[in-house]
Amino acid sequence: MPRREIEGDWVLGWPDRKRPTLIAGKDAQGRVINGRAPITDLEGLITPTDAYYVVNQLEVPEPIHPDDWVLSVGGEVDRPLELSLKELQKLPGRTVRAVTECAGNDAGFFDYLGKGGKKPSRINQQDMQKRAAMREQNEVPSTDEIGNESTTTCAVSAGEFTGVPLAEVLKKAGLKPGAVAVRLEGFDRGQPDLAVQYRSVGRSDFKLVDPGVINYEKGLPLAKALHPDTLLAWSMNGEYLLHIHGAPVRAVVPGWSGNWWAKWLQKIEVLNTMPECYYQKHYFAYGNSPEDPHKEMITAMGVRCIIIAPLDEDSPLECGSHKIRGLAWSGMGSITRVEVSLDGGKTWQDAHLEEPRERWLWVRWSYLWEVDRPGAYRIMARASDETGRVQPQIPWNYQRKHFDGIVPTDVTIV
Amino acid sequence: MRIVVCVKQVPNPEIAASQYRVDEQARTVAPVAGVQLVMSPFDEQAVEAALRIRDAQPGTTITVMSLGAESARNVIKHGLAMGADEGVLLADPAFAGSDGYTTALTLTAAIKKIGNVDLVLTGRQAADWDGGVVGAGIGELLGVPVVTFAKEVSVEAGVARVERVLDDGSEIVEAPLPVVVTVSNELGTPRVPSLRETMRAARKPVAAWSASDLGLAAAAVGAAGARRVLERMFIPVKQNRCEFIAGNSPAEQAVGLAQRLREAKLI
Repeated sequence: MPRREIEGDWVLGWPDRKRPTLIAGKDAQGRVINGRAPITDLEGLITPTDAYYVVNQLEVPEPIHPDDWVLSVGGEVDRPLELSLKELQKLPGRTVRAVTECAGNDAGFFDYLGKGGKKPSRINQQDMQKRAAMREQNEVPSTDEIGNESTTTCAVSAGEFTGVPLAEVLKKAGLKPGAVAVRLEGFDRGQPDLAVQYRSVGRSDFKLVDPGVINYEKGLPLAKALHPDTLLAWSMNGEYLLHIHGAPVRAVVPGWSGNWWAKWLQKIEVLNTMPECYYQKHYFAYGNSPEDPHKEMITAMGVRCIIIAPLDEDSPLECGSHKIRGLAWSGMGSITRVEVSLDGGKTWQDAHLEEPRERWLWVRWSYLWEVDRPGAYRIMARASDETGRVQPQIPWNYQRKHFDGIVPTDVTIV
Repeated sequence: MRIVVCVKQVPNPEIAASQYRVDEQARTVAPVAGVQLVMSPFDEQAVEAALRIRDAQPGTTITVMSLGAESARNVIKHGLAMGADEGVLLADPAFAGSDGYTTALTLTAAIKKIGNVDLVLTGRQAADWDGGVVGAGIGELLGVPVVTFAKEVSVEAGVARVERVLDDGSEIVEAPLPVVVTVSNELGTPRVPSLRETMRAARKPVAAWSASDLGLAAAAVGAAGARRVLERMFIPVKQNRCEFIAGNSPAEQAVGLAQRLREAKLI
């Protein structure tokens, strides 16, 4: 395998590997407002906080001091509450390890697999700084410009979150009969970033619904809101949540894509109807076209399996043994099986699944490939989860959300 | 051959200018919390220029030298991780408040102390003050030729051949060694330190010299010996003026526009 040079750096005063960092875009004040995780350079299961991907639909708000923060809980409850962070922390806590994935992660692979478009790369090639600059100017890219951009990959990470189950807060407030949804509202406010939505669709030659200035909000169906692993989290990866990740408190909604994990929470409202939040009625919705009258909000992710090594970029490889390895996760439970094919999907062999296999975390898998004949090879991998779902599950939709197709690695053996 | 590269530690120039605050009273720039200190990018290119020369002429010794606080040791280590052979840190409380002159004076004394230096490389200017005088100052104090704004540097048979960047192209000049060359960004991207070189760098020697080690009196260096007087420090206010060209038709407006541009000597 042509080895990529390991970069060096000084860490805590010692010569060390350069630590993988976020591929980030910054605003005029040098503050990170978006970023992609260097997933091909990471090891283990947990994405370091500094390398965790960042996506924001509205402006990043000014930070609130944790002592000044108040969470209001109201709506269809017996006892409306105003909770400080300290009060929230008195409730029975819980820690969950989960994958956070942007709904639009790997969207470009829909076109690659469906229409034979250009194959996106998992070695991030997106110009995040250009996107950040366009965001600041509220610029919308033309369809041609979108076509020339690298599509979104690496908008996925995994972390350990500590907080309190949302269900505990709702129990304290007392749910009234008839409650069906829990609206989570952030103090991030602004006009939706239209460029993000146009990029999602892959073109900008149509009109989007403009809701004006709004707070970020999502209406979580009650069953998911009451799931014990759905958290209001103040901690991530062993330390207090960083501002860019939603401090003081964000939602953690394991299995559901990142847009459900509302950041910078300020209000929880229990409702007896499903709210028509902009970010589930108009965006983050399955549908056939922008005009589709039957759009449906996206919820749980499909079943995902990606090959981290080898990558297309590692080709050519020499004859001999190669470890094929990657990550697999699902929106509905733990991964039970990963299979590898080396003949274009005709036959499949089981890969080794490394422990632990947690419900919401990704699992590392590997397969030792002995190859002694030069030629072009197509390596494929597919996963199954505990509910019996085998990828792919999610069909093409015009916003290209929740891609979970089987993406081959193409390598040449010499 | 022996090359000395003078490098400066500066606040990361990637940080937005709006982050900085100027204290006009104290005539200082308030340090920005959390901003990383890095090697000035032009100096990184000077290290790269030295490494390219050594790639062509094995046996060359490259010394990375920095005048600054103890923290400047980190930029020396960065230069060593890029591939330089040894480091010299010039740190002394007496060096504080150096201007372009005393910086050049101190670096020159250190270059003389090393002895038999054939080539001194610096960045064209530091990324914080953008003064661009230290390189020329070293040349003057050493009494050797100075070639500025290099995009390519090579050495052959005791002669440095330098391609210089000009406003409208470039020129190639030659100077006999020893010589001082200041390097511009057109040289190209500096190499990224590999893990192997970074580990080797941890074992490379870094000497630390004070004013007395250089035989310099405290009154001659730092703020005490400085010749520059800082009159005022402030953030300049930019003024934009917008002028609409009147006219009854686009053609008439175009004529008016051309006339205004000509008056302003822009065309």
